[in-house]
Amino acid sequence: MDHKLNRWPARLDLLQSGSGLLLVLFIWGHMFFESSILLGKDAMLWVTKMFEGEHIFGKPYPVLVSAAAAVLLLLIALHALLALRKFPASYRQYQRFNHHLASVRHMDTTLWAVQVITGFLLFFLASAHLLVVLVQPDNIGPYASADRIWSGRFWLVYAPLLLIVHVHAGIGVYRLAMKWGPFSAATSGLWRGRIRLALYCIVAFYLCLGTASLVTYMRIGAEHAPFAGERYMAPTGTEAH
Amino acid sequence: MSTIPVKALRTLKIRVLRHNPADPDSTPNMQTFELEEADSMTLFVALNVIREEQDPSLAFDFVCRAGICGSCGMIINGRPGLACRTLTRDLPEDITLAPLPGFELIADLSVNTGKWMRGISERLETWVHAQGLDTVDVDALETPMEPELAQQLYELERCIECGCCIAACGTAQMREDFVGAVGLNQITRFRLDPRDERDDADFYELVGDDVGVFGCMTLLGCEDMCPKDLPLATQIAFLRRRMVAV
Amino acid sequence: MQIIYTDVLVIGGGLAGQRAAIGARRRGNEVIVLSLVPAKRSHSAAAQGGMQASLGNCLGGAGDNEDLHFADTVRGSDWGADQDVVRMFAHMAPKAIRELAAWGVPWSRVQRGEHSITEDGKKRTVTEDDAAHGLITSRNFGGTAKWRACYVSDGTGHAMLYAMSNQAIAAGIPVHERTEAMALIHDGQRCCGAVVRNLMTGELIAYMAKATCIATGGFGRIYRVSTNAIINEGMGAAIALETGMASLGNMEAVQFHPTGIFPAGILVTEGCRGDGGLLLDGNEHRFMPDYEPEKRELASRDVVSRRMEQHIAAGHGASSRFGEHLWLDIRLLGADHINTQLREVKEICQYFLGIDPASELIPVRPAQHYSMGGVRTNAHGQSPQLQGLFAVGEAACWDMHGFNRLGGNSVAETVVAGMIVGEAMADFCASAEGQLQLSTSLADDFLRREARKLDTIADNSGGESAVELTRLMQQTMTEKVGIFRSGETLQQAVDALQQLHLRAGRVGLRSAARGPNPELVAAYRLPRMLKLALCVARGALLRTESRGAHFREDFPQRDDRQWMQRTLASWPAAEDCLPTIDYEPLNIMNMELPPGWRGYGARDYIEHPDTAKRQLQIDTLLAEAGATDRHQRQQLLMPFLHLLPQTFRTRNQRLGGSE
Repeated sequence: MDHKLNRWPARLDLLQSGSGLLLVLFIWGHMFFESSILLGKDAMLWVTKMFEGEHIFGKPYPVLVSAAAAVLLLLIALHALLALRKFPASYRQYQRFNHHLASVRHMDTTLWAVQVITGFLLFFLASAHLLVVLVQPDNIGPYASADRIWSGRFWLVYAPLLLIVHVHAGIGVYRLAMKWGPFSAATSGLWRGRIRLALYCIVAFYLCLGTASLVTYMRIGAEHAPFAGERYMAPTGTEAH
Repeated sequence: MSTIPVKALRTLKIRVLRHNPADPDSTPNMQTFELEEADSMTLFVALNVIREEQDPSLAFDFVCRAGICGSCGMIINGRPGLACRTLTRDLPEDITLAPLPGFELIADLSVNTGKWMRGISERLETWVHAQGLDTVDVDALETPMEPELAQQLYELERCIECGCCIAACGTAQMREDFVGAVGLNQITRFRLDPRDERDDADFYELVGDDVGVFGCMTLLGCEDMCPKDLPLATQIAFLRRRMVAV
Repeated sequence: MQIIYTDVLVIGGGLAGQRAAIGARRRGNEVIVLSLVPAKRSHSAAAQGGMQASLGNCLGGAGDNEDLHFADTVRGSDWGADQDVVRMFAHMAPKAIRELAAWGVPWSRVQRGEHSITEDGKKRTVTEDDAAHGLITSRNFGGTAKWRACYVSDGTGHAMLYAMSNQAIAAGIPVHERTEAMALIHDGQRCCGAVVRNLMTGELIAYMAKATCIATGGFGRIYRVSTNAIINEGMGAAIALETGMASLGNMEAVQFHPTGIFPAGILVTEGCRGDGGLLLDGNEHRFMPDYEPEKRELASRDVVSRRMEQHIAAGHGASSRFGEHLWLDIRLLGADHINTQLREVKEICQYFLGIDPASELIPVRPAQHYSMGGVRTNAHGQSPQLQGLFAVGEAACWDMHGFNRLGGNSVAETVVAGMIVGEAMADFCASAEGQLQLSTSLADDFLRREARKLDTIADNSGGESAVELTRLMQQTMTEKVGIFRSGETLQQAVDALQQLHLRAGRVGLRSAARGPNPELVAAYRLPRMLKLALCVARGALLRTESRGAHFREDFPQRDDRQWMQRTLASWPAAEDCLPTIDYEPLNIMNMELPPGWRGYGARDYIEHPDTAKRQLQIDTLLAEAGATDRHQRQQLLMPFLHLLPQTFRTRNQRLGGSE
């Protein structure tokens, strides 16, 4: 009788988890690349060039960055759509969940509520960020980014985005582990504690790293404010124009 | 030690969410009862004292009063638990009791978990499926089973269908047709049982949807609030992996 | 007026009721089960330690068979049991357990190789055979020659009840939950259903059935300290009594379990002692070997409970603010054993005593536990007085327990008797006398009568409180009709209960809540419980001997000469204020095992002249028969197979090909 099985619920569940995991892996990688500014403007420029394919093709193709942004946007949309199915579908459901949340005062239930809220905000903040990258893929670099952040006031977007994205990602990975993890009944509690601790550390680390980079960009941006728009000249090359 | 002495002499204030749907004049309201705490006092004792001395119409369910039958699940200061084995000593002076949400209310603290559980049992077919069960050769030696497997089956079978996992589950609270940890645990129990001839495709038919295993959002309230400490999270994770692999 | 028709109406949704229902359903009958609570919450779930069946798989059980199980049970009963029935039971128990094994009960299994066990306070290593690996194992229990209690950790009843309920659901048997049978519908000869109250709405409905089966369990709640669930108020036995026709057998035979936790009375299993746990007194001295050198902690429950109370009375108890108690010590079993085989015990200790039994002593004292008495039936489970009325399980006096039940024999009885009575009801429904001839006007009369009674209670403005009177009844029973009884206190009890019965007519209600009205329920159950209490107390007063759990300080000997009799209590007229007590003789000349010493407990008893005669007859019969196998010898002495349904007459197979 298995020919009649509707496998879509299984696929969608897997897709939701899978898309989430990909996005987390991306953002964790992304953090290292953007924080290359902590190693200096040259390092950051090198990373920028890498993403534009200059090290492979000999000249930069910012369209590669646009393409990546587009893929990510799609991934976010997919993840959001799948996750949306789990959100309260009516006011009554919302009311019941809210009542439940307040009543049980339960950590993991509360974390889910946090994820719903952060997910909702991310949908806008991350999309905004990605759209900018999508349409201005060449506007990335030690000065270009710093100017956008400081003179363009984008730090007002990035600061909350930083916090929200990492909280969302951290909770998400923890939930993924509990959702699929092949722990034995005897050690499940132990692993749950370990994973939670590990993710507290990881989130804290990224928040520190992210804050340090953001502050660095802001400092560079502030110093560079009088020359906003000018690109960085380095011994190894120039920012794209 | 033969008793559990109270920490201090207290007057408990027990607030009970009262409502009798059979009475058209009744509306849900909180009623507060005051009583003197005593040694070894459980909510079973406290509620009976209230009914005997203060309000004979107060409705609640107890059967075994020993934590094994699952009748007395209720919301105790916001969280589901078994009232019969909850010591007042472990609670603050102000105690709020409410019926388990997610089940049909009979009156006050009494809810129809039995009807709900029977429904789940019929829906998920929680019995051993095998050919010839009504013509078992009861004279012959029983089929051997690994002792460890029998032990594992019992671990999953310890569920007392009290309904706490449903009241503890945000998903079940939002979606009334979600089978909950109690249902999913039953499926893993029968899946593990070699006497049950069903395969994963059969189980997928029963729980392979968004009111089954894929509806679970891993909020872990079931695991954290299960009075029998069943390994519900690992069982659901296990079932999810099996069902995805079908 | 609402009438529901069915072939079989089973009142009670525990193990016995559900197994009987499944049996009748399989034979093509419409079956409805009524239950006070959801079926899986029935008190059967509270059985912890094990179910007796002579499988003989594990080392401790090796060599076990029906003969040993039969003899243990008869000795346990202090020769009060019906030996035909005990034979039927011992023969059926292995079948019952194997059927449940196929239905999904995760019986604990034999593990091959070396094991450390605790026996008589010492550790010992035993080696289980390869051939037995994976077969159903068993543990030691009181009063048995072999390790015979098959178990599922210490949640045996729970696992059995869930498997049974699931099979009932699979069979599509409707369970009308939260309903209570208020009266049996009958015309003086034939029972044809019951008037039933819906406990959620208060509505009364008549159920008309060809066969009606009472499976409501025991009546422990007439006592103050009881291991019973609070629903065990004996209402099934009480409505049978109220027919005026049906009789209740051996109501004075009430079992006290040695290890109720003190003071709550919650049960901790006999498996604790079976697995090697010890009883200690206030000085932490192990006292049971002093009294019972043969079986020590594992004598039968009546004996152990009596020795415990005797020891407390001699001033050796441990004291606490709630009174005197003794200790159960399972520390020596080790945390591993407790965590796997005694899990529920561990939880109970943790939640209700705040202790860890792996490192601390458990305070215990005997508490009311089991009602050997109940609705008297024949070997097929039918009432001899009222056709169409059946009873099964603890609610019945099928009489395999006599005056004391062995641990693990009651869960076994529920399933075994359910198998037999299910078939018997199906046979009855198929027979000519099973057809429903009675008119609906009879049901109407009964329905109106019950409605009137409830109105009378609801309108009563009397000043008595049901709660208070219930408490007084329980107090009276625990203090005066307990483990040690005497003519004087029993007379006081009968008088006090009669007074309470009068006062119960003046119970007034304080609330008029619609739907579920707990106060009304308490008010209409009280007089019924008092009737049962009177049956117990009066039966105990009139029985001037000590037998099994019934111990008279003024008549401390078992008196076979006068008392090879089963007590039958009936309540012929509603206005009677005492039960009518009759007796039914137990014929020693038909017994396979004539009365003797039990192998534990008191050695002196007054012998019946038939005992020697029967023994001689048995010896002659066996000598004449020469060398025959045990089955033939048994058939020679007391044939019983003809009493069983045809399908269950074949022999049980055992490991190594023995039968």
